Amino acid sequence: MASTACFMIVSRNDIPIYEAEVGTALKKEDAAHQHQFILHAALDIVQDLAWTTSAMFLKAIDRFNDLVVSVYVTAGHTRLMLLHDSRNDDGIKSFFQEVHELYIKILLNPLYLPGSRITSSHFDTKVRALARKYL
Amino acid sequence: MEPDVSIETSSMIRIAVLPIGPIPPSHFRDYVSMLVRHHKIELSTISSFYTEHQKSPFAQQPWDSGTLRFKFMVSGSPPSPWEDFQSNRKILAVIGICHCPSSPDLDSVTEQFSAVSKGYSSSLVQRCFAFCPGDSQLEDDRKKGGNLILFPPADRQTQEFHLQTMVQDIAASLLMEFEKWVLQAESAGTILKTPLDSQASLSSEEVIKAKKRRLGRAQKTIGDYCLLAGSPVDANAHYSTALELARLTGDYFWYAGALEGRVCALLMDRMGQKDPVLEEEVKYQYNSVILHYRKSFIQDNAQRVSPLSFELEATLKLARFLCRRELAKEVVELLTAAADGAKSLIDASDRLILYVEVARLFGTLGYHRKSAFFSRQVAQLYLQQENRLAAMSAMQVLAMTTKAYRVQSRASIAKHSLPNEIGSTHTDGGKIHHHSVVSLFESQWNTLQMVVLREILLSAVRAGDPLAAWSAAARLLRSYYPLITPAGQNGLAIALANSADRLPSGTRCADPALPFIRLHSFPLYPSQMDIVKRNPVREDWWAGSAPSGPFIYTPFSKGEPNHNSKQELIWIVGEPVQVLVELANPCGFDLMVDSIYLSVHSGNFDAFPISVNLPPNSAKVIMLSGIPTKVGPMTIPGSQGLVLSDPFRCCGSAKLKNVSVPSISVVPPLPLLVSHVVGGDGAVILYEGEIHDVWISLANAGTVPVEQVHISLSGKNQDSVISVAYETLKSALPLKPGAEVTIPVTLKAWQLGLVDLDTAATKNFSGSTVRQGKDGSSPMLLIHYAGPLENSEEPPTNGSVVPPGRRLVVPLNICVLQGLSFVKARLLSMEIPAHVGGNPPKPVHVENSSSEEVTGSESKTDRLVKIDPYRGSWGLRFLELELSNPTDVVFEISVSVQLENSNNEDSDSPVDRAAAEFGYPKTRIDRDYTARVLIPLEHFKLPVLDGSFFLKDSQTNGTTGKSSSFSEKNAKAELNASIKNLISRIKVRWQSGRNSSGELNIKDAIQSALQTSVMDVLLPDPLTFGFRLAESCSGQDAKLDSPKESDYQVQSTSSKGSVLAHDMTPMEVLVRNNTKEMIRMSLNITCRDVAGENCIEGKKATVLWAGVLSGVTMEVPPLQEIKHSFSLYFLVPGEYTLLAAAVIDEANDILRARAKTNSPDEPIFCRGAPFHLRTRSPTVASLGFKLAAINVNLDSLPKTPEVFSLDFRIWFQNAAIQP
Repeated sequence: MASTACFMIVSRNDIPIYEAEVGTALKKEDAAHQHQFILHAALDIVQDLAWTTSAMFLKAIDRFNDLVVSVYVTAGHTRLMLLHDSRNDDGIKSFFQEVHELYIKILLNPLYLPGSRITSSHFDTKVRALARKYL
Repeated sequence: MEPDVSIETSSMIRIAVLPIGPIPPSHFRDYVSMLVRHHKIELSTISSFYTEHQKSPFAQQPWDSGTLRFKFMVSGSPPSPWEDFQSNRKILAVIGICHCPSSPDLDSVTEQFSAVSKGYSSSLVQRCFAFCPGDSQLEDDRKKGGNLILFPPADRQTQEFHLQTMVQDIAASLLMEFEKWVLQAESAGTILKTPLDSQASLSSEEVIKAKKRRLGRAQKTIGDYCLLAGSPVDANAHYSTALELARLTGDYFWYAGALEGRVCALLMDRMGQKDPVLEEEVKYQYNSVILHYRKSFIQDNAQRVSPLSFELEATLKLARFLCRRELAKEVVELLTAAADGAKSLIDASDRLILYVEVARLFGTLGYHRKSAFFSRQVAQLYLQQENRLAAMSAMQVLAMTTKAYRVQSRASIAKHSLPNEIGSTHTDGGKIHHHSVVSLFESQWNTLQMVVLREILLSAVRAGDPLAAWSAAARLLRSYYPLITPAGQNGLAIALANSADRLPSGTRCADPALPFIRLHSFPLYPSQMDIVKRNPVREDWWAGSAPSGPFIYTPFSKGEPNHNSKQELIWIVGEPVQVLVELANPCGFDLMVDSIYLSVHSGNFDAFPISVNLPPNSAKVIMLSGIPTKVGPMTIPGSQGLVLSDPFRCCGSAKLKNVSVPSISVVPPLPLLVSHVVGGDGAVILYEGEIHDVWISLANAGTVPVEQVHISLSGKNQDSVISVAYETLKSALPLKPGAEVTIPVTLKAWQLGLVDLDTAATKNFSGSTVRQGKDGSSPMLLIHYAGPLENSEEPPTNGSVVPPGRRLVVPLNICVLQGLSFVKARLLSMEIPAHVGGNPPKPVHVENSSSEEVTGSESKTDRLVKIDPYRGSWGLRFLELELSNPTDVVFEISVSVQLENSNNEDSDSPVDRAAAEFGYPKTRIDRDYTARVLIPLEHFKLPVLDGSFFLKDSQTNGTTGKSSSFSEKNAKAELNASIKNLISRIKVRWQSGRNSSGELNIKDAIQSALQTSVMDVLLPDPLTFGFRLAESCSGQDAKLDSPKESDYQVQSTSSKGSVLAHDMTPMEVLVRNNTKEMIRMSLNITCRDVAGENCIEGKKATVLWAGVLSGVTMEVPPLQEIKHSFSLYFLVPGEYTLLAAAVIDEANDILRARAKTNSPDEPIFCRGAPFHLRTRSPTVASLGFKLAAINVNLDSLPKTPEVFSLDFRIWFQNAAIQP
């Protein structure tokens, strides 16, 4: 598992709807901010890159210092973004695909308003489990 | 590293611009701005200053199209260790700037300048520009000359031209210096070193290598000078040689440098034209440059110096060259690579410059988030420096990121949006702002936003900028208070207070802080001051303009569709207005609002500031007030943009709570009526039915006279207002300012409904008998009034503008208490037997036992007792009302009946008509007692008994078709009309105490009383029996022959009222059939004496008879009568009663229904009314009073037997005097 990783789902309106620090490294408040800053900045690149390929998994699209940003764009332009320091493309791809499935299940919930914050603790648990499994 | 580098940087000549002597900063800026305009000098313009001393080394110089580029380094710069490597890094010229008025001694200026320029050893040309010299200084200068150049005071244009000439002179001098340098370098050769080269002593092998390299480096440097001299072709030639030599000697660093120079020369040659081929070429070459810089990395001196910064610079140069949206991907890669290099940079300032450049390039590319990210990195680097200047820089850099993170200050939005959209209105700006405010709450990037704001706050505090600190703290607190701990909130509050202390008083920050202000409402004028649009065309000018009901919107109103969307307010000059706003302090500290007021920019408003104290976590609605001072439209700018997401309930939802701001216009003064009820404005307490006068005083409190007025009623119970003295008000017009008029209004309290009674009962029970009139059951007077149609002072304009009118609503606060209440009402009837052939009895008094006094006149009372033409007897009907008094006061009841005198021939005189109302003695009802009041009714019956009334009961005789049902309806209607007519003539008044009196509403009671017994009271008996003396038939016939006169009154009395005893008296019984069918029957006649004994039969028979008296079988055709004659012989004088009765054979359904029998076998027995017969002895004439027992017709009583609690007696006076 990666020592540092930050996972975030950004809605089509560029609003984060889910975020989780999934790294094994000790959590620091400042670092968490920094991770979000990096992911926020990477949106600029995603917005252009998403239209150049038909693949949902955009691989590593951005980096800052040692941290790499990998992005997976769903058909509804929801972006699953992962900030990580490991180079495990296959694992990341599988992670994204499984999270995508979870996200679709969330979307199918009639009580969930698309674009709103995901507050399901079940989802959170599952995502963290997936992170342990693949990253 | 250097900021702002590009490929073209290699061709720029650096000139240090230095202030000499004391010089005001503003002047220095002014002079520098004049100077920097000349950063590009055409070669063609300097030819006049250029003199070719020897053959120019720049053989290919394009004199017609080439340029020299200057880069002015204001305030100079320290010499770079890399200036041998890139000649453009050298300061090649020094320009001093001197402001003569502040440095009078030109000699010292010259000295200072030469001292300063000595510091720039690389400089080839020095000039000192002295501006604004005095006359003496000009004189002085003429003697000397030299580097000091004076700019005599002149207009700006001349000065600029002068300056341009001087710069061109410098350019020419530089060009000549370059030539000199190149020639020297070619001949002698120079030793060129970089910090990269080993400082240690060289080994012999390396010395040889170095010699070879030296040639290449010299060529590269000559190439640099060619570029600076604006000759790209020459440069290219030299660079090519240099490349060749550098490649051979493995001098990668210089190779890369030469390559860079060649690209620059290439671009210069193309003169800025870009095409894809060129782009590809540049990209290729620069990639090679970057590669070679990387190659030149030497491990052993990496700690001290590294070519990395050149590699990054080259990367940035290429990125800047390519920086276009279409090539975003490549640029991003370059920039990411450059940013990656940052951590390997040794010098912190290099890293700073790198991030600045990366941020700039991302910004140019349109990647604002990326740009903001790197800007923040820059700010962090600045903040690490921990000094004030760095903090200021950090603050400025962070301020640039606010847009990307959407935490802009309002001030910056205003600054940016205004020049862009000139035509945009204020509201547009507001809208943008709404968006950003909302997005703060909506966006979950709030972590980032808070971090950025916190950093701005930190840097502002460190930089000592209280306004910026205040703004940042305000934004942080206002937008993110739910995410900040109470301790953090307190910290921010302290920061706000500290900043505020350091700000000069009166400073305004565009960013709002706490409290949250939300427009609550614009209260309309109170209903007493309502403004109504006036329609000058219509007489009823207020119609259609005022809402005509409790509903704000009705689908039936024909107003414009957009009328409801935008509320319009009219304010009046000189009349105070209020606006309600809600203030909320969601934070955990006390908030003191020193002054809050309506700020109106249109300048026609005087506001009254107030101060508020808001405790933690609280909200208050406060009223801001002021007085409009001038006519015109008014905008309240604060409220325009005052659409806030609700701070307490907003997160997650995308809804905006939108309070529409009405458009406000101020109109000239209007009249203002103020009303008050004379004798206090409290509710008038009335008992049900009480009639009361209220005086309302209207005063004009405005400054304009009232010229038109109209009163109307609205609200519930409008019929309780009996009269309004409208004329009084009309006659008082025009009502001058200050004038007052009092109008009386007559009220009659309404009946309480069931619900009201209940509430009243509970209220009574709880002790408060006074119910407030605020439950909306009271009626209101609507007074529409207006001033003059046109202002006399102003000339009549197009006529379209009519000053509006106003509406005054005067609620008539009536509190109705339960008064007398009905328990029961019923109809009683009384029969007085008629006399056979005698004078009709004249009743004298109707004495009510419960009344003390006897009033009334005989003649009036007489008329109530009437002959029933169908029954043939005297009848008297009473309506008995049982009233209870649940109140705690005493009521006195008086009944009056308006007599019907239209067909009374005797009372033609107007006096009689006026007096046709009869007052009965008063009945007193004590508190908590019940009493009965008798109201005599006039008798009436219908002429024919037919099936129409029994239709409901007898559906079996279905032969009656539609025509009959029509007649039935008619009959019913007639019946109802007569009932109504009857009721309307009865008035039951009451009086309580000295001054409250009223009227009982008995309509319903009577109606119900009549309905139950209507059959018996109104329908005639099927048969009518009458007796008469056979000889005197002519006079008596009338009573049976004219049945149509329902109230037939026997006036024509026969002369003989009685018969003689001891004499055979021939008599006739008349039987009339009142039905439409033939009736067969057997008739019986009996005679009773005073004691009620049958005096025809039996042992003690006192009457003898001739003829048939019993079992007379007769058939009476419909609506006809039949006579049966017999004779009686009275043995004893006295009173006798003749009774006729018949048993009807084969009765039909109608008769059965009338008789209320069910079984078809039961014989129908029909009994006539008793007739009195008085026999007298032939000698004695008598005059006396007779007491008659009251014969109550039990048929008209309800079937349930009841105790007749009220006993009454009626005295009949026999007024007939027998001779």
